[in-house]
Amino acid sequence: MVGKTALKALLTLVVIGLLCVPATPAAATSSTQEQLVEAEGGSESNLFAGDLGNAVWTLVIFLLAVVLLGKFAWGPLLSTLQERESFIRDSLAQARDDREAAQARLAEYTSKLDEARAEATAIVEEGRRDAEAVHGKIEQEAREEGERMIERAKREIEVAKKTAIRELYEHSATLATEVAARLLKREVSAADHERLIAEAIEQLDQQDLN
Amino acid sequence: MATSNPLSHVVQHAIKTTELGGQPFTVMSDQISMILLAGFLLVLVLPRSLKRKQAEGLEALVPSGFGNGIEAICTYFRDEIAKPNLGEYTDRFIKYIWTVFFFILTLNLLGLVPISAITSILPHSWNVPHLGGTATANIWTTATMAVLTLFMMIFNGLRLAPRDFIAHLCPGPLWLAPLLVPLEIVGFAAKTFALSVRLFANMLAGHILLAVLVGFVLSAGAGSTGLGFAIAVPVVAGAVAITFLELLVAFVQAFIFTFLTVMFIAQSIIFHHVDDAHGEAHA
Repeated sequence: MVGKTALKALLTLVVIGLLCVPATPAAATSSTQEQLVEAEGGSESNLFAGDLGNAVWTLVIFLLAVVLLGKFAWGPLLSTLQERESFIRDSLAQARDDREAAQARLAEYTSKLDEARAEATAIVEEGRRDAEAVHGKIEQEAREEGERMIERAKREIEVAKKTAIRELYEHSATLATEVAARLLKREVSAADHERLIAEAIEQLDQQDLN
Repeated sequence: MATSNPLSHVVQHAIKTTELGGQPFTVMSDQISMILLAGFLLVLVLPRSLKRKQAEGLEALVPSGFGNGIEAICTYFRDEIAKPNLGEYTDRFIKYIWTVFFFILTLNLLGLVPISAITSILPHSWNVPHLGGTATANIWTTATMAVLTLFMMIFNGLRLAPRDFIAHLCPGPLWLAPLLVPLEIVGFAAKTFALSVRLFANMLAGHILLAVLVGFVLSAGAGSTGLGFAIAVPVVAGAVAITFLELLVAFVQAFIFTFLTVMFIAQSIIFHHVDDAHGEAHA
């Protein structure tokens, strides 16, 4: 792996650098050695030990860190964070849109359902009204039919009664004529006979009419 | 060495010095080596840990491993510290802000590694110099960082909101300007000074405390070995506890420095034109 190799190389460099450092004071001239001792002695109790060298090193390394980290660490991280943010924002917006659409659809379906229910109620109501109308009509017809039948029956009975009475009169008149002829011992002529019967029926009719 | 003076364990030990314009100039010291090491570590570790292994689709948006921890810290700084203060300028400054935090944190934490104590065990003939130490326990280092913050305040104030920035040097009525303008300028200096001293003193104090505690063992051991061992038990226990505290302080101070840097930059570039906010900002 490239990263591992680079890491190893850099660690090696650091170690070599640290190992090289002691060589400097060891190989230094006596004056530098004195300076060093002086510096060490001077800094022994000085809490504010340090000079412009520290500032320069700090500045250089920090600015290098800003540039290098900015390029290789923070840049990718920042773009990832921004991507994630926009992804979350988009997802939330999408979810909101979906929810709104779902609510709209729900409202639509609810209103449709209500319409359908109202329609069904109307249909049932209409059916009931129709049924009641049919029911009433049939009843009415049946009643009228019944009345008509009763009326006809009455008329037929009336006719039959009149017929029966007439036949009875005719028969009675015939009988009476025969009896009278026998009593008179003589034959009543056929013309007389018929005339007598007609008279009798006429009287009967008149009686009936009265 | 230097058992009598605990300060010798915490101050800078120059390895090579020279002169620059009549002034001493430290070319290399134990603390500078720590700054170098911190720089190496940051540049080596952070980009690798933040890299996405399977960078495809949604997977690229999901953090994992050590980078997850780094990213959590970065996200916190961006969302909770920078955005509420810097607003639309957040992403312009966030790289600087993240670097400040991790740079100071790494220096603080490296200062807790007892490199100098380990190297001092080595034979004297090896001539190993005094290595290790806390770079942030050096006022020159912390002051450099604080001056960078000051530079960010003034430079970005003049760049992004020049009129407001200059107008706010005199936040009161105009006739008070002779009094207020110097005061505001002193305010900049005070912020910078406080920023550098806070970090410096906090990092220094803990290390001095540790050195003093361990010094007890040595001074007791100088009398009799048995007494030295007897003293060592509570001292080591205390030193461990203090070291845990130091660990906390390392994070807290790095956070405070970064937080205040954000605040100061925000005060230089964001100006609310409402009277109440105006009064609050300068209260």
